[in-house]
Amino acid sequence: MDEPTDIDINDREGLRVPNECAVSRTARPSSCELCAVRENSICADLGPRELAHVDKVMARRTVPKNKAILMEGEPNDSLFVVVRGSFRLSKLLEDGRRQVTGFLFDGDFVGVRRTDESAYTAEALEESYVCHFPHQYLDEIADTSPGVKDRLIARGQTEYHKAQDHIVLLGKKTAEERVESFIHLLDTAIGEDLETGLRRVPLPMPRQDIADYLGLRLETLSRTLTALKKKGVLSELKRNAVVLPG
Amino acid sequence: MRNSWRHHLAARAPRYTSYPSALLFTNAVGSDAYAARLSAIAPYEPFSVYVHVPFCHRQCWYCGCNMRVENNYDRALDYVSALLKEIETVGALLSGRGRLVSLHFGGGTPNYLNTDDLGRILDAVELAMGLTDDATRAIELDPRMVGEHDLDRLTALGFNRVSIGVQDFDPDVQAAINRETSFETVEQCVSAARAAALNDLSFDLLYGLPRQTTASFSETIDKVLALAPERAAVFGYAHMPSVLPRQRLIDSADLPSPAARAALAELADRRFCDAGYRRVGFDHYAKPGAPLADAAQAGRLRRNFQGFTEDAAAAIIGLGASAVSFVDGLYAQNAKNIGAYKEMSSAGALATEKGYVRTPRDQLFAGVFEDLLCERPAAVDSALDALPSERRARVLERLRALQADGAVEWDGHHLKLADDAWPLARSVAASLDPYCDEEALFSAAL
Repeated sequence: MDEPTDIDINDREGLRVPNECAVSRTARPSSCELCAVRENSICADLGPRELAHVDKVMARRTVPKNKAILMEGEPNDSLFVVVRGSFRLSKLLEDGRRQVTGFLFDGDFVGVRRTDESAYTAEALEESYVCHFPHQYLDEIADTSPGVKDRLIARGQTEYHKAQDHIVLLGKKTAEERVESFIHLLDTAIGEDLETGLRRVPLPMPRQDIADYLGLRLETLSRTLTALKKKGVLSELKRNAVVLPG
Repeated sequence: MRNSWRHHLAARAPRYTSYPSALLFTNAVGSDAYAARLSAIAPYEPFSVYVHVPFCHRQCWYCGCNMRVENNYDRALDYVSALLKEIETVGALLSGRGRLVSLHFGGGTPNYLNTDDLGRILDAVELAMGLTDDATRAIELDPRMVGEHDLDRLTALGFNRVSIGVQDFDPDVQAAINRETSFETVEQCVSAARAAALNDLSFDLLYGLPRQTTASFSETIDKVLALAPERAAVFGYAHMPSVLPRQRLIDSADLPSPAARAALAELADRRFCDAGYRRVGFDHYAKPGAPLADAAQAGRLRRNFQGFTEDAAAAIIGLGASAVSFVDGLYAQNAKNIGAYKEMSSAGALATEKGYVRTPRDQLFAGVFEDLLCERPAAVDSALDALPSERRARVLERLRALQADGAVEWDGHHLKLADDAWPLARSVAASLDPYCDEEALFSAAL
């Protein structure tokens, strides 16, 4: 496993935006309106005035694969929204072992509370795009737009939801139940319809991360995926995706 | 050991593999109290699992473990079924919380069970408690019971640490303890382990055995060093025939004198240290770079039922007959009787028979003793303040005497064992220990 490297979230010079939100840095005031994710979830509940506020304080950036936006034990004062991509949440145990505690996808949030010591590390599983909002500004605009922060995060899932999901999943008594539930979680988050009428569910994380997350040995995970394919629960099993019957 | 230290060596002292000693466990703590602690384990809280396999093919006369000679494998299979049920019961109480970081099979003879049955136990643990590839998996092996492909199978099951019971290579000593194991048998076991990429091997040796001499023990250590295990544990044989009837088969007249015992322990220490091993605690030796040596070097050493360990998990879940769990200050020991254990576990109940809940004073002393035995300076002020004044005065007097003889470093607040004073470790701890007025309960301190 590569050591996560922190990126300087205050470095706005490095800002780059994805194609879906193709706006230049100078055109930033309109970036939110053009943002594809806004339509779906994140900022949909905000009125034009609030959006204008939010737009002023947020920054959008590219996060290269394996880079961390949040480092366990380090201070964090920003709320992050995943615009596109995926992240692995993990924490270190006392003896240096790493525990994978969840995954973030489009529309998910992390850094919901300002803290001197982040409880998690969040690393990009692929090149990803995030918006981040300094908590200080969110608190300031809360005076004029009450509840803006709550509504910002109400539509997505936070690291706290992820932790709850995880414990429920770990409590499941068979490997098949755990793997099926996991694929269902991914399907809800990032599954897509195929022209054939089937559902494609991307697996942006390595198998070892999935096994660790599910409390399974890698071998058990592989065996279980193969068994699910054989049973027809999965139509296709690829390295970075599964296909479900429609 | 310096001559001036000999009078500090207590005749008997606790082993401090638990605190207080398991002798203080009572039936006031039962399965309800243990279940409540298990249910309160936090998400991702690290815990270790110990699985007890109480069967052997032959009876070693020195053995102090809970074991039974069993010639009918079907009865062992019944035991495995009870274990699988217990794993399910504990898993339901954890319901996804906690994180298993290490798994240890002890005995008895864990490799009495064939590798398929060990595999079934691992599968059950995986589904009930989570088992990931980075969890340490250790097993104690009787080298006489290791079949041709066993070590390959153990590697395939993810075992990455093996401890081999050697005790002593001398034929006379082996005859006196009814454990005959040739050097070739152990050598083959080690070669098979190396070939199976098992590179964390540990040997268990015993000093103080009948007919053991410094010359014979020195030859045993020559052979051990030739096989170059990553670590070795050199335990003192505890001869307690009044408690353990099987030890009556050992002729007390054959046992080395207390002075000879001390000479054997010191011989082993010198030989391992000269060969480049690092002394870990007072009875373990590890090659530099072995995780146990690293933990000791970094001040991360811990002491639990397995002795000195680098395992950082505070919680231990014991499975099987007589296994002891420790969760958040509570000890819970399963029924020792195999039949009673099987009955309770198979019915879906926890098999807790007795236990102990540490008092705040126990917690203070437990911390002091762990630091002291694990080579760290122990902050003793609050523990001493918890003693009655008369007892406290006596302890302080003892500490000053130990300090005057150079056995401890003592600045009035922090207590540390002097570098060479490892033979006194248990004795120094016992001199502070509020439970040690009745030292007759315990085993020889060295």
